[in-house]
Amino acid sequence: MSARGAMRGLALVASWAAFATPLQAQFSDVELHGFVDFGAAARVVSDPLQPDDLLLSEVRFQLDLAHYGERAEFAFKGDFTSDGVSDGVEVDIRQAMVSLRASDWLDVRAGRQVLTWGTGDLVFLNDLFPKDFVSFFVGRDDEYLKAPATALRLTFYSALANLDVVATPVFEPDRSITGERLSFFDPGTGGLVRAGSVPLAQPTRPPREVGNGELALRAFRTVSGWELALYAYAGFTKQPLAVDESGAPTYSRLASYGASARGALAGGIAHAEAALYDGSDDVGDAPTVPNSQLRGVVGYTRELVRNFNVGLQYYAEHTLDHERLLAASPAPEWEPSEIRHVVTSRLTYRMLQQTLTASLFAFASPNDGDAHLRPALSYDWSDGFAVTAGANVMLGDAHTFFGQLSDATNVYLRGRYSF
Amino acid sequence: MIRMALKLTLVLGVLTLATAAALVRPAAGQDLTDVNAIVERANLAAYYAGDDGSARVRMTITDAQGRSRTRDFAILRRDVADGGDQDYAVLFSRPADLRNTVFLVKKHVDADDDRWLYLPGLDLVNRIAAGDKRTSFVGSHFVYEDVSGRGLEEDTHELVETTATHYVVRNTPRDEGADFAYWTVWIDKSTFLPTRMDYVDGTDEVFRRIEAVEVDVVDGYPTVTTMRVSDLRSGGETVSEFSDVRYDLGIPEDVFTERTLRNPPRRWLSGR
Repeated sequence: MSARGAMRGLALVASWAAFATPLQAQFSDVELHGFVDFGAAARVVSDPLQPDDLLLSEVRFQLDLAHYGERAEFAFKGDFTSDGVSDGVEVDIRQAMVSLRASDWLDVRAGRQVLTWGTGDLVFLNDLFPKDFVSFFVGRDDEYLKAPATALRLTFYSALANLDVVATPVFEPDRSITGERLSFFDPGTGGLVRAGSVPLAQPTRPPREVGNGELALRAFRTVSGWELALYAYAGFTKQPLAVDESGAPTYSRLASYGASARGALAGGIAHAEAALYDGSDDVGDAPTVPNSQLRGVVGYTRELVRNFNVGLQYYAEHTLDHERLLAASPAPEWEPSEIRHVVTSRLTYRMLQQTLTASLFAFASPNDGDAHLRPALSYDWSDGFAVTAGANVMLGDAHTFFGQLSDATNVYLRGRYSF
Repeated sequence: MIRMALKLTLVLGVLTLATAAALVRPAAGQDLTDVNAIVERANLAAYYAGDDGSARVRMTITDAQGRSRTRDFAILRRDVADGGDQDYAVLFSRPADLRNTVFLVKKHVDADDDRWLYLPGLDLVNRIAAGDKRTSFVGSHFVYEDVSGRGLEEDTHELVETTATHYVVRNTPRDEGADFAYWTVWIDKSTFLPTRMDYVDGTDEVFRRIEAVEVDVVDGYPTVTTMRVSDLRSGGETVSEFSDVRYDLGIPEDVFTERTLRNPPRRWLSGR
C-alpha cells in the first residue's frame, strides 16, 4: 500500500469514526466535533508559469476530539484533505495537546498547538509562531493563516505580571510560498519563478540539535484596562531569507525584542506594537543574510454605525544598515526599501441578524506601490452550514511583496458544514 | 448649633435607615412612590442577585420565516459592588463554529465596559470595542445591553402607573440618538423583577418587547428562567431559557481574567 493509499485509508477510518455513534456513546466523556469544508479558488488571469488555473479545489474534513478532566484537558484536531490541485490526500494535525491547570499560578499546554499573541490585525510583529502564507492567498479560511507548532507553553500568573514561556524544541518555520501553486519573485534571476523552473533548492533547515529550537517569551499585565506586554524571541527567521554555502535558501538566526499596548480609546480600541528583529548580520553587509529590522504598527478599530466596524492600521518595516545592504548586494535594485510603509483597513458590515457579513480587508503600501485586497461575503445558512464567497486581489510590480503574486489573483467559494 | 447639626445628622441617619429598611422589605400593601428607588431595586433584582452567579443558557432564535438557530452557553457573573461594576464570562458550546469561544466583560458603571473575545481556532484574544451596546448579542434579538443591563443614569424615569401587581415606569433616554423614543417597564411589586419591557418608536408604536415568561425562586432569589424578546416589526423572536442557576458560589476575582479566555474555569461553570 502506497503512502497515499495509507493516508486515504486513515482518512476513511477517521470519517467512519466521526459518524459511528455507538463509538461516541462508548466514550461519552469525549466530545466529538468537526466540519466538512469544500473550497474552490480559480485564477482570474492565467499564470504563464503555472499549469493549473485552479488554486484551490479541496474537500477538508476536520475531526475535533476533546476530553475535559478534573484538572487536565485533552484536545485533538486533525485535518484530512483531499486536494484536487496537488492530487493527493494530506493529513495535518493542527492540535494534539494536553492542557493542565497545574496550580493557582501555572498553566501548562504541551503538544501540537496553534499559538497567537500580539496586537496587530493580520500584521504580526512579536508573534513569531508559524504562519501558512499559501493558505492565506488561495482563499482558505482565515484561521489557516496560523500553522500549528509542537511546543511546550507554560503560563505563570502573579500579582506583578504574568509570564508566557513557549519552547519549540524543533524549529517550525512558516509554510511559505515555494513556487507550487503560487509563483514568486526570485532576485537571483530577477523574475518570477515557479517550483522546478530554476534550480531552486529546498530550503535547508537548521540541524535538529539542542540549541536549534525556538524560545518565545511574553510578560503581560493589564493596567486600568490597558493590556501591556513585553516580548522576546530567540530562534530563526521564519522564512528562508538567507543563503547557505551551497546556494540553497536557509533560515538564519534571529533574536527579537518588543512591546505592545492595547486599550479602549474614544469608544474604540487602540493598539500599538513594536519589535526589533536582531539578525545575525551585525553590520548589515552580508548579502546572504537578512539585515536587522525595526518594525512598528499602530491601529484603531471601532463601530462607526451599528453593525458596521472599521479598523485602520499603519505599519512600517525599517531595514537597518540599508546603505551597506545595497553596497554589498549583487542585485541592489531588488532589495527592500529602507522603510516599507503599509496601511491596512478592515471594514465589516453585518446584516440579517448577523447571518450575512460583508467584509473587506486591504493592505496597501504607498511607497512600494503594491496592495492586497480581500473582499468576502459570508452567509450562515443555518447553525451548521455556512458559505463564503470572496476574492484575493494582488497588485503591484513583479518584485514587490504583493505584486509578485498578481498572477495568483483569484476568486473563491467555500462551504462548510460544522457538527 | 452643634447640637442642631447633630440632631439633623441623626434625623438624616434615621431616614436613610428607614429607606434601607424599605428597600429590603416594603410594608405589605404600601406602595413605593419614589421612581428612582423603584428602578434601583429593579436593577438590583434583575442583574445583581447574590454576590455572584452561574447558569446555563439556551437561546433559540427564530426569524420571521420560522427558521430557528440555537446558542448554548454557560454564563458566570461576579459583582464588584451591588448596583456597580460587574464581571461576566460567557463560554459557548453551541453552535459548533462558536464552541469554546469565550466572551469576557468587565462592566463599568462610570466608564466604557472592557470586552474581550477569545477565538480558539486562531488562539486569538481579541479586544472588542464597547461601541454600540445596542448591537445584537451573537445574532439573537437580545442586544448586549439586555444581557448586562442598561445604566440607570442613561434614562430619566417616570412612574406612570401603580397597578395591583406592578409599577409601570416610563424611561426616556437622555441621549437623543437612541433607537427608541422611550421604553416602558412593568416591575413586579413583590419581586421587583421587570416582567415586561416595551420599546416604543417615534410614532408611539411598540416595536420590541421583552417578557419574563417564567420566574422561579432559586436559592431564595426570584429569578427569570425563561425570557422572550420579540421583534414586533419583523416578527422574529429569541427565547432564553436558564437552567442550573446557582448563586453565591464564591467565584474568585481572578476567574475574570485573560487566563479564563484560554483556560475556562470549568469548576465554576453550570451544567458541566
